[in-house]
Amino acid sequence: MANAALRNVKVAPNSASLEEARHRVFDFFRTACRSLPSVMEIYNLYDVTSISHLRSTIASEIRKNTHVTNPKVIDMLLFKGMEELKNVVDHSKQRHHIIGQYVVRQQGEGQVDSGKDQGISPFLKNFYKGNYF
Amino acid sequence: MALRATVLRHFGMTVRGPPLALQPWRSMSSHAEDHLSKEEVIERVLAVVKDFPKVDPSRVTPDVHFQKDLGLDSLDNVEIVMALEEEFKLEIPDKEADKIDSCQLAIEYISNHPMAG
Repeated sequence: MANAALRNVKVAPNSASLEEARHRVFDFFRTACRSLPSVMEIYNLYDVTSISHLRSTIASEIRKNTHVTNPKVIDMLLFKGMEELKNVVDHSKQRHHIIGQYVVRQQGEGQVDSGKDQGISPFLKNFYKGNYF
Repeated sequence: MALRATVLRHFGMTVRGPPLALQPWRSMSSHAEDHLSKEEVIERVLAVVKDFPKVDPSRVTPDVHFQKDLGLDSLDNVEIVMALEEEFKLEIPDKEADKIDSCQLAIEYISNHPMAG
């Protein structure tokens, strides 16, 4: 299933229209969602997150690029997404990469000002934020 | 009989790739006895939709339209369909999944699906 689709990541021909690119985004989203059970298994994420949470995370990552209307740019972003997904599914990453990037960061967005970061300068705060993982 | 059902179910879930080749063979299985009832399908579909973070649970009814009535966009729609796939352990082909845009269609599709579990 998903793993078979991910075995050969190659550059697909350019999308002819915005509509085609849009469909490819949904196809990519489905592929990513279908590989989530194996991702949970590989990185043993059952105690930190759930499949539905990761699914929402993928959707919000896609939603960050809703302003893009150029099919070529969408194709490029899709390729990057595919590449990332392949790396995740192939276990080219480690558990803390996944947790840092897709579990903690999503929860932490918006509540950066909590706890022990209180007394530090804005510069240092931005530095920590930018170098999260 | 129970063993056969278990084996068949196991088989159906692992061989997800080309379901067409399995179809005639699968119709002989004894899934009828453990097939989901319509009420159960409705209940579970509604539970999945209500669990969706952007949805107001009080507005969910069995014939609600995801985009027109619940104010979701097309990506949310795909997300709900994927959540339903997970809940019922199905793999809905892309063409079918594109058509599912309301609770009613989802319930209809899933209750007619022989492998929904």
